[in-house]
Amino acid sequence: MTNRLLARLGHLYLGLILVFLYAPILVMAAMSFNRSEFYQLPFDFTTDWYAKLWHNGEILAAAGRSVWIAGTVTAIATVLGTAASIALYRHSFPGKALLRALLFPPIAIPWLITGTAMLVFFFGIGLDRGTPAVIIGHVALALPYVIVVVSSRLATLDPALEEAARSLGARPWTVTRAVTIPWILPGIIAGALFAFAVSFDQFVVSYFLSEPGDSTLPVLIYTSIRKGFTPEINAVSTLIIAVSMALMLLAARRVRFGGED
Amino acid sequence: MAEVRVERLVKSYGAARALDEVTLDFPDGGFFGLLGPSGSGKTTLLRAIAGFVAPDAGHVFIAGRPVEDVPVEAREIGMVFQSYALFPNMTVAENVGFGLAVRKISGAERARRVAEVLELVQLGPYGARKPQQLSGGQRQRVAMARAIVTRPRVLLLDEPLSALDKALRVDMQIELKRIQREVGITTIFVTHDQEEALSLSDRIGILRDGRLIRTGTPREVYSAPGDAFTARFLGEANILRGSVEPAGLRLADGTLLPGRATACMAVRPEHLRLTAAEPATSHRLRLRLVQRIFGGASGTAVLDWQGQRLKATGPDDTFADLAEGQEVWASWTPDRALPLTD
Amino acid sequence: MAGSLERADRRRAALMLSPAYLWLTAAVFLPLSAMAFFSLLTDVPFGGRDWAFTLQNYRDFFETGTYALLLWKSLKLGLIVTALCVLIGFPFALVLAKAIKGRAREALFLLVILPFWSNSLVRIFSWAIVLRGNGVLDAAVNAILPWEVRVNLMFSQSAIVIGLVHSYLPYVILTAYLALQAIDDSLIEAARSLGAPRRTILLRILLPLSAPGLIAGAVLIFVPVVGSFMEPRLLGGRVGTYYGTAIEDQFVAVFNWPLGAALSFILLAVVLVILALATPALRKAPT
Repeated sequence: MTNRLLARLGHLYLGLILVFLYAPILVMAAMSFNRSEFYQLPFDFTTDWYAKLWHNGEILAAAGRSVWIAGTVTAIATVLGTAASIALYRHSFPGKALLRALLFPPIAIPWLITGTAMLVFFFGIGLDRGTPAVIIGHVALALPYVIVVVSSRLATLDPALEEAARSLGARPWTVTRAVTIPWILPGIIAGALFAFAVSFDQFVVSYFLSEPGDSTLPVLIYTSIRKGFTPEINAVSTLIIAVSMALMLLAARRVRFGGED
Repeated sequence: MAEVRVERLVKSYGAARALDEVTLDFPDGGFFGLLGPSGSGKTTLLRAIAGFVAPDAGHVFIAGRPVEDVPVEAREIGMVFQSYALFPNMTVAENVGFGLAVRKISGAERARRVAEVLELVQLGPYGARKPQQLSGGQRQRVAMARAIVTRPRVLLLDEPLSALDKALRVDMQIELKRIQREVGITTIFVTHDQEEALSLSDRIGILRDGRLIRTGTPREVYSAPGDAFTARFLGEANILRGSVEPAGLRLADGTLLPGRATACMAVRPEHLRLTAAEPATSHRLRLRLVQRIFGGASGTAVLDWQGQRLKATGPDDTFADLAEGQEVWASWTPDRALPLTD
Repeated sequence: MAGSLERADRRRAALMLSPAYLWLTAAVFLPLSAMAFFSLLTDVPFGGRDWAFTLQNYRDFFETGTYALLLWKSLKLGLIVTALCVLIGFPFALVLAKAIKGRAREALFLLVILPFWSNSLVRIFSWAIVLRGNGVLDAAVNAILPWEVRVNLMFSQSAIVIGLVHSYLPYVILTAYLALQAIDDSLIEAARSLGAPRRTILLRILLPLSAPGLIAGAVLIFVPVVGSFMEPRLLGGRVGTYYGTAIEDQFVAVFNWPLGAALSFILLAVVLVILALATPALRKAPT
């Protein structure tokens, strides 16, 4: 086979896979603008479903709750995660490798297990289902992401910079404020965006921890779909995917995922 | 074993010409050094011979046959990469045997040839190691063994010693030369290190901006560089410019250097003699000694002539009786003045 | 003097580390331990219920066979989805890492990981719209084919597999791409200069060197798929009963929490074994 033919086939393959990845999302988005309630073709453009969405108190409340929870989670996880990252970067002490390893269970263990375990434990200590439980759970899930992202940015910080600041008489907090934070700010922002996305998109843990009738948007969507889905759910899903993709695009501009060339 | 010839080779990257009508013969069994600053096209030329770069125009011949349509894997070349490119998932012996395995050479025969070539590069006992467990010099020799074990027609070396530190580099130069002599394979290597080029090659070619500007034996090119760029690039040179008069070369300070003249000439630092007293030759300059630099066996004197920096080198005690800041004379024998085109 | 400086340093480190790790302990590690405890009880230890220690929940798993069978079904699903993702994703990563250059590569890479970070529930939902009878796929196929066919993949094992492959494919592309990209091009050139054909380069250089990345990707897919419950529920309907949905039922429908905890804990054990087996590869994989 010639190189050119092989390259063509390669490009064709990339195209096919991208179609597979994006087609259902695009179909869903298109159907949210289709008049038929049963997704029937021919396509008849309408924005009615979005208008209906605007008047659906239950969905609006859930959306508001989701944003509020994600915002709170982002604030807590970013502050705690950044502090921990800086400490892990600066100090060496016995058990540091263990602390780094402990970040992986929350990421690697299926959320079904983490979620049910949280439910059992929180109930056991008297913390009922509800928004506080959801926030506590989400922060725990978001923390490892923040620490990993901020740490990868910290790895590019020349330790001599902090040492130089200290040799010039800066106290530890001043070093952090004047040297460390400005350098890792892109990492902190990316970590915050990850935290927001983890919380905003989180379904499994929220599902086990939120109170029925007082749930987050993904949980509401899940229960609605199981009752039989409507273009309204479709419209709100389209909005969610647009928001989370926009968030990730923002984060991607700050962290280089592709590695070096 | 085969001779290699490139004919009017052209390669452009966008507006930049990496190779500009390069024609060059690489004699059978010879050790040919391609020398030039970065961006001169020397690596592109090597990669065009290997087949990694498809030239826009021109031909590459190996053993008299054009190879433009022959892919790299069928060109029967051996190549040593700057980074050595040893396969990290294979042992030394597997690395060296890779080319043989690809050629379907069976186990026993393969093992024999691998052992033989490892012996040649003096790494006999290292076959079972992984490349990561070797030193830089050892890796270099594995790369060399891997490239020659298939008995290629041409051996191509891309900056083969640049990743080593200086002391090791000199040892490896001797080693490389020995191996090449024993195998007798046509070898082309690329370097930006002039000392390496001078000590290793039978012949060298100097490239600049994609053009081949000078070829010859190292001694020929060093002692008759022909142009200012080559003179400065290969060794150091004090370049003197002036205007040509019937009597000789008139320099800016009024000095007349008698004899046949070109507007530009060079004197190597080792050929400049410094004296406090005026020498009995008209091939001399009056200048100021700015600084003496101690360099162990040899010393360097930095000189200022009409605002131009010149250099003289010699055994360290040569400059011992001269003081920094002193006005001195620099002189040379007329045959040491190398005529140059600019 | 040195001692007190060091102590101040330690105190500062502890002050910065402890909030994050206390949080993780309270919200992840203690709950996991609590679940182990719960799984050994006859009933929940609150609300005034009577409870005692028992191994009955684990006995249920091994004796009734129902749950073991479901776990086996989930493990099979994990294997199928993982294999498909690797088979589809590796060539993609290979083309992306070795045949595409510069900005196009960056853009394509971003396009692949973008859906990966978007809401997985919503993406599964979007497949429900595509796959249902009288749905978009049905319409598209009938528009192309001259004869009438009924395409209704919804509520089938195929639907579950399609949805899960769609969800997790980007993982393996991501890890395989990073591993392949870390392979120096000069290794490929060296192999070619030694006369190796493409197949040899793929089998002896690219595959072995990217294996840690591929294994990491496979584990990252296999583990959550074995624990999946939302995807089988939404796309599988009646056939969508798996180990994950059985656990979900214990917590939200049957309210037999101790049994749910035991089932969860068994799944955790399986997951930990898989992670432990893959640790050497995971450690070598570029992140």
